[in-house]
Amino acid sequence: MELLKRREAWNITYNHALGETASWFYVQIRDHAKIYGRRCGETGRVLVPPRAFSDQTLEPTTEWVEVGPGGCIETFTMVYEPFQGLPDPPYAFGYVLLDGADTAIGGFFKGIDLADPAKAAKQMALKTRVVTKFAEVRTGDVLDFWFELEAN
Amino acid sequence: MPLNRPTAVIGSAIMVPIHTDRQSLEEILYEVAQAALKSAGIPIEDIDGIIVGSNDQVDGRAISIMAASGSVGGVDRDILSTPSAGEHAFVMGVLRIASAHFETQLIVSWGVTEASSLSEVERLAADPYFHRKLPLDDLSSFALQANALIAAQPQAQTLAAQLVQQNRRRGSLAYPEATGPIETPAEIDASKAVRWPVREAMLRAPTMGAVALVLASEEFVTKAGITNPAWIRGMGWATEAAFLGDRDLTAATALQEAARQAFADAGVATISEIDVAEISAATPFQELIAYQALGIAEPAQWADVVSKEHVHPTLNLSGGVASINPVFCGGLVRIAEAANQVMGTAGKHQAAKVDTALAHAASGPAMMYQTVVVFGSKLGGTQ
Repeated sequence: MELLKRREAWNITYNHALGETASWFYVQIRDHAKIYGRRCGETGRVLVPPRAFSDQTLEPTTEWVEVGPGGCIETFTMVYEPFQGLPDPPYAFGYVLLDGADTAIGGFFKGIDLADPAKAAKQMALKTRVVTKFAEVRTGDVLDFWFELEAN
Repeated sequence: MPLNRPTAVIGSAIMVPIHTDRQSLEEILYEVAQAALKSAGIPIEDIDGIIVGSNDQVDGRAISIMAASGSVGGVDRDILSTPSAGEHAFVMGVLRIASAHFETQLIVSWGVTEASSLSEVERLAADPYFHRKLPLDDLSSFALQANALIAAQPQAQTLAAQLVQQNRRRGSLAYPEATGPIETPAEIDASKAVRWPVREAMLRAPTMGAVALVLASEEFVTKAGITNPAWIRGMGWATEAAFLGDRDLTAATALQEAARQAFADAGVATISEIDVAEISAATPFQELIAYQALGIAEPAQWADVVSKEHVHPTLNLSGGVASINPVFCGGLVRIAEAANQVMGTAGKHQAAKVDTALAHAASGPAMMYQTVVVFGSKLGGTQ
């Protein structure tokens, strides 16, 4: 028998409140091209991205700490699948432990030739030094910054 | 903490993979629930409550328990939902019987492939502040975890493809029609990278699936005259931080904690006391991480486990996720497979003389949610 399918596409827009902590973080990126974390008063750990509280101690964080722009690669992957609103693949992204931070932040890696993935993977080996770069025109978003190899 | 009351799995139904447009989701859920009840040999009237584990984004149905409740017997009956993971439905069901408010529970979980992109669906799990603008679907999180593992344990790179082949050899015996070809390690390593270093041939395409189990108290088991229950001797579960950058992706600390709880409850000193184990691993790298966290093998011994067809416990007789990859409900499938081994109802891959079985279920980005269940053919441990 003839079997039917019903195609449905929903297009709902959300306006998520970032709150004071994430708002201040992105304003510093947008206006000053600087990345900050929040220090946990109990452990002294600097959480990046910043959190209003530590999910380990459940204590409010106490102060802003500038981190980076240098750091080292914690892990990475190369992506070959297109995603809505993201650059055309392939590209590399991963996590970087910025200097002065105790947790790693996610972001894109640029300036690395991905034509030979094995060679690119070696260039992005874990603990490799990178430096944060900022877009000339910034909107206060994750895409305002990315990481490039320090050696370049 | 040990359970307050002995509780057992008394029936199950595993429908994976499902490749049909002849049934709607609701009709499939009706079938899997009815099959589990038939397997237990009891009518729906004997079921006190129902827990379903499903994901609204995957289903394309907000509050998907609403769609499911009529199918699985939830009309005019207690029914709750655990959207975090299918295996969490099992945990909650067991605890409800332990509470003494219930004698029986029906547990159902499922996942469909009706969305245009499961990757985009999974990105909705990332927070909208710092991670939504990254390509952070499950597969990306698995690849980030794999790279971290390879950096810490370089032998994982060469063992990965061998482990996939080993799982598919077992899968070809358990589910020959569904497992597909058994690619060689060379073929796996030569297949294209979908997320470096995860290769296309390491994975099976996500498929629709549904699974259901029936739980009962000791009193019900005795009254109903059930002769082959799979007693839940121990159970543990734990969760890691949601932000991947906060975690050591190679350590599976939540799995270590889940195993500690489950082994303590079961009175099991080490996993070598277990006869068969089902490991939930979306990639072979995750399976190696689980070996260490569960105490199956330290990294120096990974090669020994991967090269042997039979170790103790015997691993993944079902073929695991490397053979069949149902959306969302894979963790509960592992629990059902382990329970079936104890009940003697595992079918083609039933092992001889199974007294104890372990199920490991993992869900979420880079195995964020970890659950361990120890089953026994006899009451034991702290029960």
